[in-house]
Amino acid sequence: MSVSKPVNKDLIGSLIFLALSIAYGASAQLIPFYPGDEYEPFTARTLPFALSVLGAGLSFSLLISALKKTSEAKPDQPVLKSALGYDWSTVIKLLSLMVFYALALKWLGFIIATTVFLFGGYWILGERRKKILFGASLPFVVAFWFMLTQLLDIYLAPGQLFSAFGG
Amino acid sequence: MLDGILTGLSTAIMPINLFMVFVGCFVGTFIGMLPGLGPISAIALMIPITYGLDPSTGIILMAGVYYGAIFGGSTSSILINAPGCSSTVVTAFDGYPMAQKGQAGKALALAAYASFTGGTISAVFLLVAAPALASVSLSFQSSDYFALMILGLTAVAAFSGKGQVLKAMLMTVLGLMISTVGTDRSSGVERFTFGNIDLMDGISFLLPAMATFALAEVVMAVLKRDHMKEEENEADTSHLGSMKVTKEEVKEVAPTALRSSVLGFIVGVLPGAGATIAAFLAYGMERNLASVKEKLKFGTGSLRGLVAPEAANNASSSGSFVPLLTLGIPGSGTTAIMLGALIAYGIQPGPRMMVDNPDVFWSVIVSMYFGNIVLLILNLPLIPYISKLLMIPRTVLVPMILFFAITGVYLVSFNTFDIYIMVFFCIAAIGLRMLNFPMAPLLLGFVLGGLMEDNLRRALMISDGSLSFLWERPITFGIMVVTIFVLIAPIVQNFLQKRRSEEQVLAGNSQN
Repeated sequence: MSVSKPVNKDLIGSLIFLALSIAYGASAQLIPFYPGDEYEPFTARTLPFALSVLGAGLSFSLLISALKKTSEAKPDQPVLKSALGYDWSTVIKLLSLMVFYALALKWLGFIIATTVFLFGGYWILGERRKKILFGASLPFVVAFWFMLTQLLDIYLAPGQLFSAFGG
Repeated sequence: MLDGILTGLSTAIMPINLFMVFVGCFVGTFIGMLPGLGPISAIALMIPITYGLDPSTGIILMAGVYYGAIFGGSTSSILINAPGCSSTVVTAFDGYPMAQKGQAGKALALAAYASFTGGTISAVFLLVAAPALASVSLSFQSSDYFALMILGLTAVAAFSGKGQVLKAMLMTVLGLMISTVGTDRSSGVERFTFGNIDLMDGISFLLPAMATFALAEVVMAVLKRDHMKEEENEADTSHLGSMKVTKEEVKEVAPTALRSSVLGFIVGVLPGAGATIAAFLAYGMERNLASVKEKLKFGTGSLRGLVAPEAANNASSSGSFVPLLTLGIPGSGTTAIMLGALIAYGIQPGPRMMVDNPDVFWSVIVSMYFGNIVLLILNLPLIPYISKLLMIPRTVLVPMILFFAITGVYLVSFNTFDIYIMVFFCIAAIGLRMLNFPMAPLLLGFVLGGLMEDNLRRALMISDGSLSFLWERPITFGIMVVTIFVLIAPIVQNFLQKRRSEEQVLAGNSQN
């Protein structure tokens, strides 16, 4: 009967880096090469190519050591099993909120976007007290906005939506 | 040198700079206290605020944050056994058992006195070592700098621990790869921008620092549900006990503090070693020097076991400024981010810094001493109150830190595209952290990437494309030999350890 071996962290890491190094090296081919560059000792491609080779070599070494580790039946704790116990849903919501914040910052401006971001963040993490939800979002954002624009003289562009409607 | 010290003193005692030392230490202590958030995150979060300030004031603020964060990390190690950063892990070995015995106040006071001793002694060493090294390094050429950078990057990987060397090297290479994104400084051609205008200027140095440290650390805490543990922390910080230290105790730990400070400074100066290794080495040295009876106390609340790592990690922090200020080469993730900030101010750290920007150079050194005094006189009595700040619900603290991290990067470029890249980097950092890849080498590789490429290009141009510069110049050759030694040492050590354990197994089998 064959016993399935748990996934080795080093094995996954080495394969990711190997793929990355190859992709990086392939993309380095896209760097423009000017006539006469072939006579230059150092061009814009030199370091990327060197890094690609170095990355691939190191990944390969890690791969070999990971395979050796697996064959010696000394795997570290299973990745998938430990990852399943994490709070992925909250993290995905927070990361999505960050992406939304970037979008909102562009279209709705600093005050609205940040207020929604903070309010959403508190809510996602389980905060339900109205005093905190409202008290630690809008007043804080207005105070921060005032500090940036009035005290530090930093220009914060209004949202593009308002600019479009406001002319 | 006296002129320099006076210049530094006159800059450092300006009210705004004294105020910044205080603010830096205070904010650093608070951020450093938050489990998971170390000096790198603390400094990264403060950098956007420093952009509006004079370079000297800005770097003084960051130095204060650095000290404060290490001190704050020790506080959370002692009080709740949750080190704020890796350099204070050892502090928890004996600090936390002391807190459990109701001696948290004494442990905090001893940690503060040890940090003060370490910081003071190393500030004096720095005062002597930095100008000496800076004058020597004036004769350095591109090839020497290139070799030094290779040494720095290799050392970070080599000192990263057993089984981590290859991974640290890969992270360094990844950092170097990221640094090549954008317009090539020499030829002006675009690299890895894929036609995207937002990538033409490259990636701001603050972005990977914020994404892989501040952002990823907070998100990792949420991932592991650490943000739900606030109630336990509150309970433990409510009673600290007396902060008084007796004469006998001072007598017992004074030699330890002195020894560890010297060791910490030397380790800090070495590229790649840093405060964590200094703390572990000092703890190990003190345990080896202790009597058999005293040895048994280690790990159960030994005063010497607490003082040694505290003095060493603070001394090492000052020591790490030596290569940064004199050679422009950071030896750790924290000094790498400071290098980025200095470059953003328009100051190029290196041998010329002492000549071109003496006010910055000397005021940083002098302000380190002030930082230690602030930590001792102001922060120590304030610890019971600062630790109350930890009672801010994590449900509020986490979104606030995320906001400061994102805004910090946004305020540099005013480009929302950077936020998308941050999220992408953060996801990648979480994945890599879960696969046990260290993050500091990435940061170091990223910050040094551009400088390394420039120096390699110049060295190759001078030697007409030949790599002979690696062995023709004695300084370059010497540094490369050290690099090879640093690289091979852990491999040989591993091999010898393996062989020894195999021999022991064989001996055991033959006896049976």
